[in-house]
Amino acid sequence: MQNMSSLIKLNYQVSTCSQLYKSFVRYYIRGKPPGIAKTLSQRLAMENREDPELSTRIDIGFPAPRPSRSTELKQRLEHLKKHRNDSNLEKLARNNTLNIDLDEVKKDWLATAGPLHIRKIAERYDIYGLFGKYAYFTPRLALDIKFKQSDDTYFPVYYGNRLKPSDAVNPPTVNFNHEFNVHGLDSKGKSFFTLVLTNPDGHFTQENKEYIHWMVGNIRDGDLLKGDTVVPFLQPFPAQGTGYQRYIFIMYKHDKELNFEEEKVKESNNLEMRTFSTYDFYRKYQDEMTPAGLSFFQADWDDSLTDFYHNVLNMKEPVYDYDYPEAILKKEKAFPLRQPFNLYLDRYNDPKEVNKRFLEEELAKTHPFDGPEPPFRFPNAQYLAANIPSWRKTEIRKARQKLGRINEIKKI
Amino acid sequence: MTLPRKWPVNPGILRKLKKSISPSEGEKYLVNRNPCNLEFMSIASKPEGYKLDKPGRKFWNKITLVQSGKHVTAQMIHFEKGPVIEVSTKEWAIKKQLYKTSDTSAYYNLARVFAQRCLESGFCEMACNMKPKEGGKVDLFLKTIIDGGIFLREPSTIHPVIMNRYVGQKQKPYELKKIN
Repeated sequence: MQNMSSLIKLNYQVSTCSQLYKSFVRYYIRGKPPGIAKTLSQRLAMENREDPELSTRIDIGFPAPRPSRSTELKQRLEHLKKHRNDSNLEKLARNNTLNIDLDEVKKDWLATAGPLHIRKIAERYDIYGLFGKYAYFTPRLALDIKFKQSDDTYFPVYYGNRLKPSDAVNPPTVNFNHEFNVHGLDSKGKSFFTLVLTNPDGHFTQENKEYIHWMVGNIRDGDLLKGDTVVPFLQPFPAQGTGYQRYIFIMYKHDKELNFEEEKVKESNNLEMRTFSTYDFYRKYQDEMTPAGLSFFQADWDDSLTDFYHNVLNMKEPVYDYDYPEAILKKEKAFPLRQPFNLYLDRYNDPKEVNKRFLEEELAKTHPFDGPEPPFRFPNAQYLAANIPSWRKTEIRKARQKLGRINEIKKI
Repeated sequence: MTLPRKWPVNPGILRKLKKSISPSEGEKYLVNRNPCNLEFMSIASKPEGYKLDKPGRKFWNKITLVQSGKHVTAQMIHFEKGPVIEVSTKEWAIKKQLYKTSDTSAYYNLARVFAQRCLESGFCEMACNMKPKEGGKVDLFLKTIIDGGIFLREPSTIHPVIMNRYVGQKQKPYELKKIN
């Protein structure tokens, strides 16, 4: 191995046809040679390795229902045997005209592998980040949430689907199995449910807080009208430029009625009152309630929100822009050797000052009433005085060809 | 804002890194913690640097088929997080209604279910590095995915325009009308 690395350290001369042009290529390998050095994937895995003791999350939800595996298996095998002997089904499959019923697939999926799959998607969207770093739950209770559009149509909420805020103006209908009970666990008496809708992504002032959009507590018999509206429904209002924000429905199950006086929001349109933290909320009620159901959607900005901000929230509509990381520069030198002085200085000057200079040059060529000068038909063929310094010539050429900074000045 | 720091870094450089990602003083900012947001806005960067390798590394989400003698599994894989959505003929919900779990009909129906689940999870675009034979099962699978509403091409990242220290934008991501 050491021989290989020393071989690669040789300088070798590369000479072209003419002896006048002898060029030297020094090739020094940095670090370990290929084959021995780690690949990028290996290196990334090494850097991102997490200590399992520190990163495992605790299940705060309900366990999986455990039906008798033997009876289930027997039933399933019988069913499959019947299918295999069904000549009609075979014909459909052979002709590729078999269309399985997607609604039935959905129903069976939610009863079997669905909760685990939804948990995986929730992990991708970092839903469990609401509960801090150490908790998660598998949504065993299926939630059927729909925003009504008209008599026939509705906008459903699944696990991450994209909606517009104008679709979710009114509170949705929520259907779920209120007799939900995990096999083997006693539900002493009646069970109550609490639904909370939060947005962890849109808080205007505090980084780690959410806005609570809806909370209905102590729901009985699966009817939301029978529950207490602790926080009245407020439609989603993702600000322009912030992208897609998550709106998360969590259904908690508890045995006795809980008093949500502290969570009550009296002024519906006051955003500061709607500041919420699922972590603190769950921490307070963790002995009484367990998260059972999960459903979430994503929403981004819509035209209708301008009026919402002005009329309902009584504030100026915020418009955001993605803040790209700044370019990182070396420490500025007093005497930079072999650097074009104008480009070097512009790097360290205030970008606004530099753009102002470009803008002033543009405006100097623009008549206040007649408008800008007509563009040259052949910009590179225009006269350029001989006594102008080279750096200035480059600037003029770039300006004529509409290259570089000129294209950015109008945006500031 | 935190930096993932696992190796010893020159404190001067660390200071500059922190400064480059923190918002300027006095500026109002909003933190969107949705991990998928930057990808949906086409701002997130894709895994770069594999230009000299076999193509197929540059994606945010890609669709894969795991085919075995008995079953077939469709996966949507994220380049960092691994499989996010997995639909398989091994699932009882699908197996229950099929005649055979590995014939053309199975591929077709799997595609219908997969497309539905992807859309329900908010994923409408993903990369596809499969180049199947015309008229085959995988070809039918991909065509059905497209019919189901999934677009098999991801938009390219919108890189910022960096001129000296000024970091600008050629196009606002939320004003994107077409996918590149």
